[in-house]
Amino acid sequence: MFGGGGLGGMQQTTSYKVVLPFYAYAALSFLVACILLLFHTNLADQHYFFPGTLSITHLMALGWCTMIIMGASHQLVPVLIEGKLASERLAFLSFLFCALGIPLLVCGFYEFNTGWPLQTGAILINLGVICFLANMLSSVVQSKQRDVHSWYMAAASLWLFSTTFFGLLLVFNFQNPLLPKGSVSYLSLHAHMGLAGWFLLLVIGVASRLIPMFLISKYTNRKRLWWVFGLVNGGLITFILMRLAGLNTFWYYVPLLMVLAAILLFAGYCRAAYKVRIRKNVDAQVNISLISVAQMLLPLIALAGILVLKPEHQTETVLVYGFCIFFGWLSALIMGMTFKTLPFIVWNKVYHHKAHASAAPAPKELFNEKIFGLMKKLYLAGFVVFIAGIFLKTQWLLILGASALLLAAILYVTNVGITLTHKPKS
Amino acid sequence: MSNIITNDSIRCAVATTGLYNVYDPEIGLNVVDLGLIYQIDFDEAAKQIHATMTLTTQFCPMGDSIVSNVIQSLGESFSDFEPHVYLTFEPPWSHNRISEAGQEFLSR
Repeated sequence: MFGGGGLGGMQQTTSYKVVLPFYAYAALSFLVACILLLFHTNLADQHYFFPGTLSITHLMALGWCTMIIMGASHQLVPVLIEGKLASERLAFLSFLFCALGIPLLVCGFYEFNTGWPLQTGAILINLGVICFLANMLSSVVQSKQRDVHSWYMAAASLWLFSTTFFGLLLVFNFQNPLLPKGSVSYLSLHAHMGLAGWFLLLVIGVASRLIPMFLISKYTNRKRLWWVFGLVNGGLITFILMRLAGLNTFWYYVPLLMVLAAILLFAGYCRAAYKVRIRKNVDAQVNISLISVAQMLLPLIALAGILVLKPEHQTETVLVYGFCIFFGWLSALIMGMTFKTLPFIVWNKVYHHKAHASAAPAPKELFNEKIFGLMKKLYLAGFVVFIAGIFLKTQWLLILGASALLLAAILYVTNVGITLTHKPKS
Repeated sequence: MSNIITNDSIRCAVATTGLYNVYDPEIGLNVVDLGLIYQIDFDEAAKQIHATMTLTTQFCPMGDSIVSNVIQSLGESFSDFEPHVYLTFEPPWSHNRISEAGQEFLSR
């Protein structure tokens, strides 16, 4: 009556020892990035190729967003691809290389020293990403199912490597001309490989699996997910080809509309899953993640603004674009999902054999909900005020917004610390 | 009660009472109302319990903990029996397996 049983499928989850360092590292990176933001609120008046902006952007993109997403991927890949993570050793190596490389890269940008710190940092990060890519591709190849989620995982990992490898070329291009033009000319290519190829594709791939799971929703629509996959990849490849061909900016609306269509289709997917959910009481962590789906649209509006506006107004719009992505969409998503995934990893470590009703607290009790609520309010206030500060070019608004974001980061780190150091009550 | 298949309904009721205290930590619902337990058979001669169960998703990060606790619960309910738990995904778990009490809990 029932298919072949046994416990062969057990012990397939990734060890907490591999995953937790990524979370701790990312939390500290977010804190440092918010401190840097507070001390560099003058970046609103500068071109985006400015040491302060470059260092904050790379700390947010690599130290905060990529590190936590890589850590969570090691934990979630078995759920996504219905197979085991290929190697915990590779996962550890990817952490080690990236953890050493990111500070060097960020310091290199901060000092604008294009010599050894920047170059060594970029090499180490690429080594870490190669370990991650090899681990993800091996996991996908070894898994029995080749579902749409496996394709998202594989493609996103490939785009991450493309981004960091291209970044490595740009770093070396500063001192030895490897590319036909200067590195600044290729920044938009490098950035969008990472933004659309790595972050967007991976977030959609993971969220499309986890959101229905967390909501206990009956909704599933693989055809729609394939369309989203095609539109994001197609839009990105079209953009790269147009950029290399040097086409008029008018044509950039084509990839922009493709990615917009993908995001709208994905938002519709989340809405449909939400409507038919069995679990009516949606917790704050999932709610903040659903808000982040709506936040995906803000950068696209800013991007349309960049295409429409005259060059003299483009600087602040580019800043808003980057800010909406790293401090908006990705940060909201990560803040929500941290306290949806981290307590379970720690719970599994501490209460592995105590799932009886009275023996263990619920995983959501491993972090402080009051701190989480206050963090959410400060974060949203800081995000809105800082954007207003960029547009209005008002220094006190920028300082106020950055201060609120820093306080939110302190609360986030505190709550991560509370969760990581949780001990069972005797 | 529940849709668990068994060869001994009286002992199964005792086992189920214990299993009502084993929870899926993420959902906060016990494994019986969640419909994770497919079958519990008792082998009187060998003094063994054979339970077949599933998880809401294959490679569930909490799966190891849930299965361990099902084994522990069965062992506590029947100290003279040796519990054996078999994990299966055929048929896969579906929302239709959630009991009425479970549906009510989730709709709160």
